[in-house]
Amino acid sequence: MRNPHAATRAAPAATIFLPDWLAALLMLALACPAPVAAEATPTSGKIAPLELQRSAAPGWQRQKVDSQGSSWPQTDWTGYSTVAAIATPGPNGPLHFETPVTGDAARGRQLAFDRARGGSCVACHVMGKDTPPQPGNVGPDLSTIGAMRDDAWLFNYVYDPRTQNANSIMPPWGAHRLFNVAEIRDIVAFLKTLKTPYHNSDPQDDPATRSPPRDTRDNLDPTENPAMFALDRGKELFDKPGAGGKSCASCHRAPESSFKIWAARMPRFEPRLKRVLGVEEFITRHARVTTGEELPMQGADNIALSVYLHNLANGETIQPDLSSTGARKAAQSGMALMQRKLGQLNMACIDCHTKERHAFKWARGQYLVESRGTVAHFPTWRTSRGDIWDIRKRFQWCNVSVRANDLPPDAREYGEIEMALATINKGEKINSPGIRH
Amino acid sequence: MAEPMKIRAKMEGEFADVKVLMSHPMETGQRKNEKGELVPVHFIQSVIASHNGKTVLDIQWSQAIARNPFLGFRVKGAKAGDKIAIDWTDTAGDKSSIETTVGA
Repeated sequence: MRNPHAATRAAPAATIFLPDWLAALLMLALACPAPVAAEATPTSGKIAPLELQRSAAPGWQRQKVDSQGSSWPQTDWTGYSTVAAIATPGPNGPLHFETPVTGDAARGRQLAFDRARGGSCVACHVMGKDTPPQPGNVGPDLSTIGAMRDDAWLFNYVYDPRTQNANSIMPPWGAHRLFNVAEIRDIVAFLKTLKTPYHNSDPQDDPATRSPPRDTRDNLDPTENPAMFALDRGKELFDKPGAGGKSCASCHRAPESSFKIWAARMPRFEPRLKRVLGVEEFITRHARVTTGEELPMQGADNIALSVYLHNLANGETIQPDLSSTGARKAAQSGMALMQRKLGQLNMACIDCHTKERHAFKWARGQYLVESRGTVAHFPTWRTSRGDIWDIRKRFQWCNVSVRANDLPPDAREYGEIEMALATINKGEKINSPGIRH
Repeated sequence: MAEPMKIRAKMEGEFADVKVLMSHPMETGQRKNEKGELVPVHFIQSVIASHNGKTVLDIQWSQAIARNPFLGFRVKGAKAGDKIAIDWTDTAGDKSSIETTVGA
């Protein structure tokens, strides 16, 4: 049974169907260097002075606790790919079975349902009548898997699905040491007991019919969104003289008009750094050589200014400037990075966030969205974290969620992904600060 | 330093519906910082809401209230144009106040 909400999102039958990311890639390939439109920028015709030597996040290290005191995954996943480097070893073939696979089905069931271990099998699969509440549907319903597959197939698929199905997005549980061989034997013994089709009578518990979450909060209501405090703070900082005696407002008078579209044209390729700058890194580097203020990325003041500058562009559509070769190359690299398998869980951005793969399904009790529609509200308040996140913090969280080491916020690769996402989100209206769970 | 507050009040039937969002860390005294040291207790202890100067709500809060507390309540007998004020005091003795006019 299809999710009625998902059905309404399906592409009209008459249109040529292309994945968003592929369409964006094609657009990049076809884009001619268009003449740069003469737009009113904050300092029309002048090149913004930037500090170009130092890190924009000095002293950054992978954190244990975030700025609000919430815990942050801190395991070191060196040895698995990150957006900066490919490191994950390839599959080493179906080698690890002895048939029949003997194991303890009761223990296997416990492992399969244990949410503390790798998110558990039920994060993505319905598994028969004993399925715990809120199963996911990224993977197929396994209620009858025991009647369909033999021991060797089951063992190898759990150990490393890449050996049997190149399109599987399931983590290689054995090869990546999330479960040991004895545990996988137990899980297989449990899978062999699953032979009866199961239909969940509660439509809200069945991932195929569960309603997608709808956030009805008004993100610009100051009594609803704590990020609105940062908007006030950002306004204040804009007018506050820095160490050199000048404030942002000394040069940028009437920010309401001069910054009307600025944030909607970010990120941008910066030829002096030969990489992509987002709003936040721009603030750090520009302030160092203008007001003399040190506003490191992901510091509270940097984010407050970012909220203010994004908010000034509210209602404007995202239109990344792809007129330079550097910008197009960066966006292409970003698209490629979004296809890279990352971390111990071996997942790529596109695995969960494109409708051709698993967007609009449920994983780990969470609803997966596609990558279009995910950036226009940043920086955004996260109620579950009690903090305002800029887009780079979101990327860091994506990384640790698939158990890959996160990078400093000014990493070149994050810039490329930000550019790729701006391309995918072209035409979306800025609406900042956002509010999300 | 007085922490900021946001307030909104408008008439809904015979009540004034008031929403207040406070900015405060509401430290419980149980949390550890990055160095593993306990963060000292620091939370809003007392909140007083008044309607045209008369106290209509007097609350004692504890560590159990979350960071950036949201407070919603309704005032019977209020009318558009009345003043609603909020005053809080925290464990460090810091105070903050805000006043608004009830909208129609």
